[in-house]
Amino acid sequence: MSELENRLTACFASVFPALTEAEIPNASTESISVWDSLSFVTLAAVIQEEFNFEIDPEVLPNLDSFQAFRAYLQAALPALDRKEA
Amino acid sequence: MKLIDALKIAQRPAVDAAPSPRVFLACGFTPLHLQTFLAAHLRAKSPNARPEIRTGLFGDLAGNIERLELSSIDVLAIALEWADLDPRLGIRSLGGWRLADVDDIAASAEVVAARLLRAVKAVGGEVRVVACMPTLPLPPAFTTRGLQLSSQEAQLRRIVASLVESLLQFPTVRIINEQKLAQDSALLRRYDVRSDLQTGFPYTLDHASVLGELLSGLIDTHSPMKGLITDLDDTLWAGIVGDDGADGISWNLDGHSQMHGVYQQLLSSLASAGVLIGVASKNEEETVRQAFQREDLLLSSDDVFPLEIHWSRKSESVGRILRTWNIGADAVVFVDDNPAELAEVQAAFPDILCRQFPKDDPGNAWRLLNELRDLFGKPAVSKEDTLRMRSIRTSAVWRNQDSPHETGSDDFFRSADPCIVFDYGRVPEDSRGLDLVNKTNQFNLNGKRYTEAEWRQFFDDPAAFLLTATYEDKFGALGKIAVMMGTAREGSIHLRTWVMSCRAFSRGIEHQCLRYLFEDSGANQITFDFLPTTRNGPLQDYLKGLFDSALTAPLSLSKERFLAGTPPLFHRIEVNSRV
Repeated sequence: MSELENRLTACFASVFPALTEAEIPNASTESISVWDSLSFVTLAAVIQEEFNFEIDPEVLPNLDSFQAFRAYLQAALPALDRKEA
Repeated sequence: MKLIDALKIAQRPAVDAAPSPRVFLACGFTPLHLQTFLAAHLRAKSPNARPEIRTGLFGDLAGNIERLELSSIDVLAIALEWADLDPRLGIRSLGGWRLADVDDIAASAEVVAARLLRAVKAVGGEVRVVACMPTLPLPPAFTTRGLQLSSQEAQLRRIVASLVESLLQFPTVRIINEQKLAQDSALLRRYDVRSDLQTGFPYTLDHASVLGELLSGLIDTHSPMKGLITDLDDTLWAGIVGDDGADGISWNLDGHSQMHGVYQQLLSSLASAGVLIGVASKNEEETVRQAFQREDLLLSSDDVFPLEIHWSRKSESVGRILRTWNIGADAVVFVDDNPAELAEVQAAFPDILCRQFPKDDPGNAWRLLNELRDLFGKPAVSKEDTLRMRSIRTSAVWRNQDSPHETGSDDFFRSADPCIVFDYGRVPEDSRGLDLVNKTNQFNLNGKRYTEAEWRQFFDDPAAFLLTATYEDKFGALGKIAVMMGTAREGSIHLRTWVMSCRAFSRGIEHQCLRYLFEDSGANQITFDFLPTTRNGPLQDYLKGLFDSALTAPLSLSKERFLAGTPPLFHRIEVNSRV
């Protein structure tokens, strides 16, 4: 996994502690029943703090899964997307 | 603390069941991350507790407090913001900032502040209340430039100041010190405008963390340090009294030694609030006595006891002072200008907190004085606090006598004219009993601590009783020194809690407490909720004397057995019954 994926996984784990590490890459609003507006706001805040990066409010509603967050962050922070040894 | 860490800490499973505060977080905004940070900081302070934090309705701070069910909470935590005093002071409401509107805002804020005061008054006697006053900047609703204070802003600040002053009349209310908040969270970095607009949560994560930490600090039962041992030369004063003479030492502006005077002033203040002040100095006793006779010394010799003045090791002095005070090294701060002396004392007493007095560095001296305030500060000064030093001095007189169990000391006991006043009731009269239970370690039946709500709740049982003992002899009053709490049913007493101040040891008071329960309250049997702790050795020693055996549960004592082993007692007994 890249540094970006590692850190994003940690963010998801802190907000959805019931998910295993294997489940996190497939996490989405549809797969997680506790993914409500409150947990979404918390997740967004954790990710912004973790990556020291402000998510565009226009994009925010489209970030409805781990993969969506990953793709958005990869585009915004390409330097963090290098695979770790 | 980062939000990701706060979430992890708040979710961490508790290993043991520890008392967990039930907190109601009252705020007018979305509690969101403040709730998380508050839970995390509470967990960080008490890792085994699982604080339960409930919140109310958005935009209705006063209503949330008014609707509280007091039986379901231990602590009310209030995060007040300007928008709670009038929604027009926030940016989520567009009610107008015209001159007439702003005048009206100030008027309505006054009404809301009065409502808040009534709401807190209704709960303030029942649960602990911790609060912060508005922490966010006021909006640009005023017609002056930002650098110029407008009359309406001044009015709003007066309303808040007046609210604070009124709230602090209630002993259970604690309010975050604005000065401390400003140190930890800069005003310009507190408000997250975008978050306020998007989610209704107005704080930056950093500010929410600081606020959560400060609120949790007020919720947590803090045990202040009890004693300070100070060096003299180049610490309490500038100069070496043995070389310079009593007139050659200084603590003033002319001598460039003002911070030593400020240090004396702080020690005098601490002493007046019941902090024990002792001296450990390598000097000649007569020289120091002359220095303490100087009228301009800001610390009275009456406030200092004992003075260990000789040429032996500092650690020996510290050891003797700790024995005289009868407190543990972990409740004491040792201040000296000499790093070698600090290291020697630290090696002998690893638990003591050593601090170097920065004799030529006023800035660091200022920081030390502020640290001492934090270490020794307590929510309020009780009558017992003000009696402490006198009682320590008289305890030293008592300790020089034989044990009360030996007949040789009977004359001394009688001549001291000791008097115990028992106060027996079904309900707690004041908070002093609970305070004593929560801070006593050595003579403590089981080390159990209570929240105000748990303590109150216990007395819902019609069989519950509370016995407190107040002591006085010809050497002076010790104040309220013992607390027993339990249930009494059909001649049998179940003692849940029993504590006695270490200042009251060796005076037979513990015997009198049990004697009162057996003889005056008619009990034939007392069962003790005893639990050994790492610090209740004195209590264990006393119980071993009573039971003459290993302390195994259930620990029950019959009246016959107790009376057979009771030594001669000479106290005058007075009883106030509140049943």
